[in-house]
Amino acid sequence: MTTVPARPPLARSSDRVIAGVCSGLALHLGWPVKNIRVGMVLAALAGGAGLVFYAWLWIMVPTADEAARRNARRPASSIAPAVSQGTGTIPAPAGPVPAPPVQVDDAGTAQGASGTAAPSPGRAADPPWFRWQSMKYGKEILLGCGLLLVAGILIAQLLGVDVPLGTLIPAAAVLGGASIAWMQLDETRRAGLVDKTKADQAGGWARLAAGLALVVAGVLVMVSGSGSWEQTWLALLASVAVLGGVVLVLLPWALKFWRDLEGERAGRIRETERAEIAAHLHDSVLQTLALIQRRAGSEHDVVRLARAQERELRGWLFQDPGRESGQFSDRIKAAAAEVEDLLGNPVEVVSVGDAAMTEAHEAMVQASREAMLNASRHGGGSVSVYLEASDGQAEVFIKDRGPGFDLSEVPEDRMGVRESIIGRMKRHGGSATILSTGEGTEVRLRFPAAGIDNAEGKS
Amino acid sequence: MNPSQGEPAPGNGTVRVVIVDDHAIFRSGLKADLDASIQVVGEAATVEQAVAVIAEQRPDVVLLDVHLPGGLGGGGREVIAGSAALLATTRFLALSVSDAAEDVVAVIRAGARGYVTKTISGAEITDAVFRVAGGDAVFSPRLAGFVLDAFGTAPADIADDELDKLSARELEVMRLIARGYSYKEVAKELFISIKTVETHVSAVLRKLQLSSRHELTKWAAERRLL
Repeated sequence: MTTVPARPPLARSSDRVIAGVCSGLALHLGWPVKNIRVGMVLAALAGGAGLVFYAWLWIMVPTADEAARRNARRPASSIAPAVSQGTGTIPAPAGPVPAPPVQVDDAGTAQGASGTAAPSPGRAADPPWFRWQSMKYGKEILLGCGLLLVAGILIAQLLGVDVPLGTLIPAAAVLGGASIAWMQLDETRRAGLVDKTKADQAGGWARLAAGLALVVAGVLVMVSGSGSWEQTWLALLASVAVLGGVVLVLLPWALKFWRDLEGERAGRIRETERAEIAAHLHDSVLQTLALIQRRAGSEHDVVRLARAQERELRGWLFQDPGRESGQFSDRIKAAAAEVEDLLGNPVEVVSVGDAAMTEAHEAMVQASREAMLNASRHGGGSVSVYLEASDGQAEVFIKDRGPGFDLSEVPEDRMGVRESIIGRMKRHGGSATILSTGEGTEVRLRFPAAGIDNAEGKS
Repeated sequence: MNPSQGEPAPGNGTVRVVIVDDHAIFRSGLKADLDASIQVVGEAATVEQAVAVIAEQRPDVVLLDVHLPGGLGGGGREVIAGSAALLATTRFLALSVSDAAEDVVAVIRAGARGYVTKTISGAEITDAVFRVAGGDAVFSPRLAGFVLDAFGTAPADIADDELDKLSARELEVMRLIARGYSYKEVAKELFISIKTVETHVSAVLRKLQLSSRHELTKWAAERRLL
């Protein structure tokens, strides 16, 4: 954990004397706990600064459990992981201080959907995360500078220098408020564009309100100069009234602007989709239709082209994008498509369930392909394929309606049925049964759970 | 795609049929393909036309495209809902180029007695029309596959709600249909009569239409169905 720039997130540790602040801090900074504790006590003796610092950390820093929970919850948002990286910097409305736990969030979201709470060093290599991290340190350094300045002013005042506090405090309030409002600009813009979840927006609003309140208060105190409450209240009332009036006037215009923007964006998305569909149809369907017109003489070719195009279009239209590809059923369907293209007879695949490919499944795909080839070649009509697969078990049935054949009459030297189907299945611990009558032939391939284990053990 | 190849049609009389499809080319092609014993008494291209024609003609069977313009956008489902009063005498056979699960199951749950894809031959459609007119369900191998996928392939326990799972026998029948067996072949394989096969298939259809089972809902939701 200490070898890489990725520090453990700042969280109150369970190894505690009072609230686990010191040991958490030590873990985060990579310093010995003892040093931190001694430093804290010394700081506490220096006018109570240590006590204030301790109390502040106690309030602002979550316990390790809380951090873990928050971490585990955040990445659950499935909407554009790249976006949640940006929004990760909006924790609960954190008040004027960009609380250190922010890092926890960011690290967690950068890791995406894996949902593990413990930070891992490998994450540090992730470039975007790194960039965010450095930016965040920038904010904290700024804050630190501000605090140092305040401390300097206080010390100067203690030393007898006359500091115009009456001007400085409102000015600081204005600066602080403005920076709070501005700080969220990059975050909300990114969040607002794609991630419209209201939860984050609530935090944004709270911040905006806090920033606004600070700025208004600061300006008022500055303007009223004396700082008398009565005057301030009056001015506040007046300015609120003015602001309300401005909002009232501008609101319809702003709403219209917003709606136009939304409409334009939706239009752009539609346009992009349309262009994509047009491009796909041009590359596939139009080309095939042209081919069909040129081959109109050959019924066989036309049927084959139409089948192949239908299959392709179906795959494009109805495929579930969330599904993993390359599974067992996909491979069987691909084999069926290949046989269909090769021989021109339709091969209908119905699949129930699915399984990941193993060596045994691979053998089964090969055996199924061979069986489909035979069925299409000798059956001479459409071929029905049914596959049922679960984790430990797989069955494939290939049925045609041809004249059928007698397995014992197939010559010994014909490799197709005996080797490629029956032999192959047996070698991998499965079984193949061929049932042929005058009304058709059905090949049944089967892998019991034990068969698959055995096959894997041997390989 | 031929669940009942080579079997005699159950009724000897003619069957009155309305074809609902928004493609005129397809309607005329289908009309030409259908057997002479099937009398096409009406055609419709939109949801509103379909509901009106069905109410006026009161056909035995409606060949219904799943995707239709007009109405509230519900397509074939909406036509069935609009003709709910006639469901006792008029049977709906869904006919579509789409074999997406949501289309198939939505129209079956609306009340259709079967589902076939448009690529099947005229003889097969004719056969399916007679079967539906006779009160049976028409399951293509693909629909059987969807049913198995949705209900799971484990047989029902006694404790389960009877609507929520398929019995062992129903599972066997569905598996054989999915494997491309005709009703006759299923009957032979399981040593039961064709009538019994039809009873099982109708029972499965009923479960598919009525089940409110948790997993079916989940399964449908995963495919953006309900």
